Amino acid sequence: MKNKSENISLGLFVLIGVVPFAAAFGYAILYSFGIIGVVNTGFTLEFWKAVIASGEFFKSFLYSAVIAFISLLISVGGALWIILKFRNQLERKFLSYISYLPLAIPGVVAAFFTLQLFSKGGFFSRISYNLGWTETTVEFPDLVNDAYAIGIILAFTTIVLPFFVLLFMNVYKNERIQELSILAQALGAKKNQVVRKVFLPILLQKTWVLIVLYFIFLLGAYEIPLILGQEAPQMLSVLIIREIKQYDLTKISEGYVAAVIYTVIVTLAAIMLFLPKKHGAYET
Amino acid sequence: MRLNWKPFILSLFVILVLFPFAFMVLLSFMSGWRFPDLIPEYMGLNNWNTILGSEVGLLESFFSSLIISLSVAIISTLTGFLLSRTVYYHPRKRVLTLLTYFPYILAPVVFAACLSYFFLKLGLFGNITGVIVAQFLIAFPYALLFFSSFWNKKIRSYEDLVATLGGSPVQKFIKVILPLAKSMLLMCFFQTFLISWFEYGLTSIIGVGKVQTLTIKVFLFIKESNYYYGALACCLLIFPPIILLYFNKRYVFKNPI
Repeated sequence: MKNKSENISLGLFVLIGVVPFAAAFGYAILYSFGIIGVVNTGFTLEFWKAVIASGEFFKSFLYSAVIAFISLLISVGGALWIILKFRNQLERKFLSYISYLPLAIPGVVAAFFTLQLFSKGGFFSRISYNLGWTETTVEFPDLVNDAYAIGIILAFTTIVLPFFVLLFMNVYKNERIQELSILAQALGAKKNQVVRKVFLPILLQKTWVLIVLYFIFLLGAYEIPLILGQEAPQMLSVLIIREIKQYDLTKISEGYVAAVIYTVIVTLAAIMLFLPKKHGAYET
Repeated sequence: MRLNWKPFILSLFVILVLFPFAFMVLLSFMSGWRFPDLIPEYMGLNNWNTILGSEVGLLESFFSSLIISLSVAIISTLTGFLLSRTVYYHPRKRVLTLLTYFPYILAPVVFAACLSYFFLKLGLFGNITGVIVAQFLIAFPYALLFFSSFWNKKIRSYEDLVATLGGSPVQKFIKVILPLAKSMLLMCFFQTFLISWFEYGLTSIIGVGKVQTLTIKVFLFIKESNYYYGALACCLLIFPPIILLYFNKRYVFKNPI
């Protein structure tokens, strides 16, 4: 009886958690090889060759990886600095609640807000004009839909930095870094030695899984680069959806090639991150 | 004398955090804010009155979002909790957990694009049920992973104790497991509600523009360059999560995934 109910539970888990992913991946593979699809006629490597030859996917992958890395570097670095300097103040009731507020901002709102502030007709452009720094909107620097993805990085940082501040605060308390720092100082360590040998190693070691996970999330982010990105190169998800949803039916398979490569990369990352047994990482 | 710069930085921090909220609220009251003016032509309740009149369907979108998010949160919390027991007591729990991570870390919009064919065949394309099912598929792995820390040795010992004392499986579940899991269930409900509430890409693919949640509305207003209604939609989008955060901030980092 017990085994029967456990088998039903396991079956349901496979049905909800595994089958949809397998079906989506299988469909994308079949489409990418021309086996299915409205205008496809049968197995071909043509779409894979086209995607590899054009190099657009790889350019987009590199572009997304650089943006995700810079955003994460600013967010994690900024959060560490805030915890190092303002930890005690952030524990006060008012500031403690305030620091949770950015978690209520979804990606689409962060993108909208960034657009309103930094576009050529936006809030800062108006201030610049009224201060006499610029005379037309054109003179205001490109900060959204720009070549260096400044707008995307700003929006990503708006969302990710507050999360890491709260995470590091929590790890700081749970791992009793305060006590360990006092102990290190009592044993003769200097302030910067405490930071380098106690504070940073513990915080980063306990949260590295989440930092890598956030890198993967940012790599596949959609709405922020859709609103704040430029035409080319585009971030991965935007490029994949553009290819899959385009009107030229003969090109849709190329979109699925990109989707398959992206899924394989993410799946391998998950295997590397979560299959080896880890000790002491700050995980579930 | 050394200048204490901390109060300035902290004030800046408070301003930076509160500014987006204040800006969105003010923008939602405005109209006729043309470049290079710093002050708009009109500032008042006109935009908000319009949504109460349901002229732009924002109130409808709010309730659609609410129904979708509540459904997703309830279903994924319950299934996640019930099925997580089997997964985390299973001898091959590491492999099963790994399988759970695949849909969790894949971009939802790409997942939806690859699944859309099946949704079309099942008649789940372009309707609220389809969006709920699609969002459930990404909220469920989160819920499952969320409960991974719950099924530990302590809980197992309680279960064994109840069985030893003659308690039935139903009694064990109702009298012991549920009371112990209450705060985590509540927390998971809040988190999955937020996953659904904030979701844009997957909803746009499976809803094909027919299911207009608030995130879809914000994007539509941006495309129409109607920033005042866009800000209003943003306000409706961010204030319910603020209320939820107030109630559950204590638990947010108990189970980061």
